[in-house]
Amino acid sequence: MFRKILIANRGEIALRVVRAARELGVQSVVVYSQADESSLPVLLADEAVCIGPAPAAQSYLNVRNILAAALVTGAEAIHPGYGFLAENAEFATKCEEHNLVFIGPRPDNIARIGDKSSARALAQEAGVPVTPGSGALADLAEAKAFAEEIGFPLILKASAGGGGRGMRVVQSHADLERQFVNAQEEARAAFGNPELYVEKYIEEPKHIEVQVFGDGEGEVVQLFERDCSIQRRYQKLLEEGPSTLDDGLRERIAEAAVRLAKHIAYRGAGTCEFLVDKQGAFYFSEMNTRIQVEHPVTEMITGTDLVQEQIKVAAGQPLSWRQEDLRTSGHAIEVRINAEDPEHDFRPMAGTITDVHWPGGPGVRVDSHVYAGYRIPPNYDSLLAKIIAWGPTREEAIRRMERSLRETVIEGVKTTIPFHLRVLDNAFFRRGQVYTNFIARRMSS
Amino acid sequence: MQTKDLRRLLDVLRDTDVSELTLETGEYKLTLKRGFGAPQAVLAPAAPHLPAATPLVFAEPAAAPAPAQPAEAPAAERLVDVVAPIVGTFYAAPSPEAPPFVRVGERVKPGTVLCIIEAMKLMNEIEAETAGVVREVLVDNGQPVEYGQVLFRIEPD
Repeated sequence: MFRKILIANRGEIALRVVRAARELGVQSVVVYSQADESSLPVLLADEAVCIGPAPAAQSYLNVRNILAAALVTGAEAIHPGYGFLAENAEFATKCEEHNLVFIGPRPDNIARIGDKSSARALAQEAGVPVTPGSGALADLAEAKAFAEEIGFPLILKASAGGGGRGMRVVQSHADLERQFVNAQEEARAAFGNPELYVEKYIEEPKHIEVQVFGDGEGEVVQLFERDCSIQRRYQKLLEEGPSTLDDGLRERIAEAAVRLAKHIAYRGAGTCEFLVDKQGAFYFSEMNTRIQVEHPVTEMITGTDLVQEQIKVAAGQPLSWRQEDLRTSGHAIEVRINAEDPEHDFRPMAGTITDVHWPGGPGVRVDSHVYAGYRIPPNYDSLLAKIIAWGPTREEAIRRMERSLRETVIEGVKTTIPFHLRVLDNAFFRRGQVYTNFIARRMSS
Repeated sequence: MQTKDLRRLLDVLRDTDVSELTLETGEYKLTLKRGFGAPQAVLAPAAPHLPAATPLVFAEPAAAPAPAQPAEAPAAERLVDVVAPIVGTFYAAPSPEAPPFVRVGERVKPGTVLCIIEAMKLMNEIEAETAGVVREVLVDNGQPVEYGQVLFRIEPD
């Protein structure tokens, strides 16, 4: 085991890693920007090193200062958390060049599965279904030929695209001709490149993701799935596990995730994301090569510690579990408490937390870096806390989460708590009828 | 501010030749003075809210970009901080046998090399940006330094 590790992140995830390290008897070094000088991970870590001013580009993304901090403090490994440098193959390579262990996948894992089109190709090689798609379209005739083959609805996407621009849902042949030209023009204007491709459009999918863990030698286990369908602009707000899908389908999706991770001899914690349609067909969408924000959902239903496991695997230990050791118990829900005003389009709010009181009691977990008097820096994301409620059944977990949110007091800024209470109270949510358009369709009042 | 923080501040005051310290935050303004008729000094506020329990490897926490008040300070006490622009290991001299680049009391001008910070096996020379006299050297040879840590204080001309 390592004697000392460095944590190249901030906020709740930095604290999460400090806690995991301490329980393993590993010393932690937290690096921080000047804006986070009095943050909880900095105060609670064994050592802390300032690596730059508030802007992330000069601190949390400052590879040179982070590596120098690891070297001068004698850290043997770097945990990147999520975001920032967590899925940066170049950073992982640099760590190795300086004889520092990157607590995560090998750089080649990150590079191959991190790239969208290469990930799609790998999934196909591994026999994992992907959304039927066309590749670059030369012209409208090619789009029409594809539509004949696959059927409607389809979605046109810009090859150079992102952020929804150049995207058009197409319902019929008549629609296709008009939308093709529109999407081309939009793509040309937005990206300087009119090239389009077309994919089968999945209506009202569920976003299901499978937690996997690999030892880098070809051994891979799966720790079941999470349902992360409740999203706002691709930002997850509430996650739960296990999903409400039937057991046969759950197993097939999990097996697909394991096949993909085995195919690349994946090392460490990873998540394979799938879209699942109403007919029970599922399609691989992407793989996240890091620990995820919502990992506590899995920890609560499987009784595991995924962050400790990341550190152990990085230190060269074999996986702690064989597949047959792993099972789920009960149901867990996580909500993200953000410093945002849900009444005003989720506008982020910086400010000082004047008072805070967390919920407690059976089955409740709070992961937060916030304390009374904490000033939220305007430079980073608005996540204040994750509250996780466990119950023997989904219904009991929902009631426990409601109870927990009503106990919670956060003063000084507006938070997403009132919004979460409305979701928990929603009849469709209660029935598990939750798809990625849930917020747009069921929550716009 | 808690009692233990105040005690720490008083300790700092006693251990240095600072005779007056003013600390201003959004919530309060604190002025500490020692003796009578001593020369006046103003210190930029360090972070007083770090609990003493946190074992930091570094000699002092990185000072927040300090809104220092040089305008009001007496001319003789207008010390300029030279801070570490990168994280690394501080070297006072170009080689183990060589004399230090600068000593307390020596004159420097913009471009004078003050020290080396080694980061990622690269030696980075840190140069003075101000002409003046080195009044304080705050780090030891071979010590790790973090971003923003004060290395030298220079009395400008």
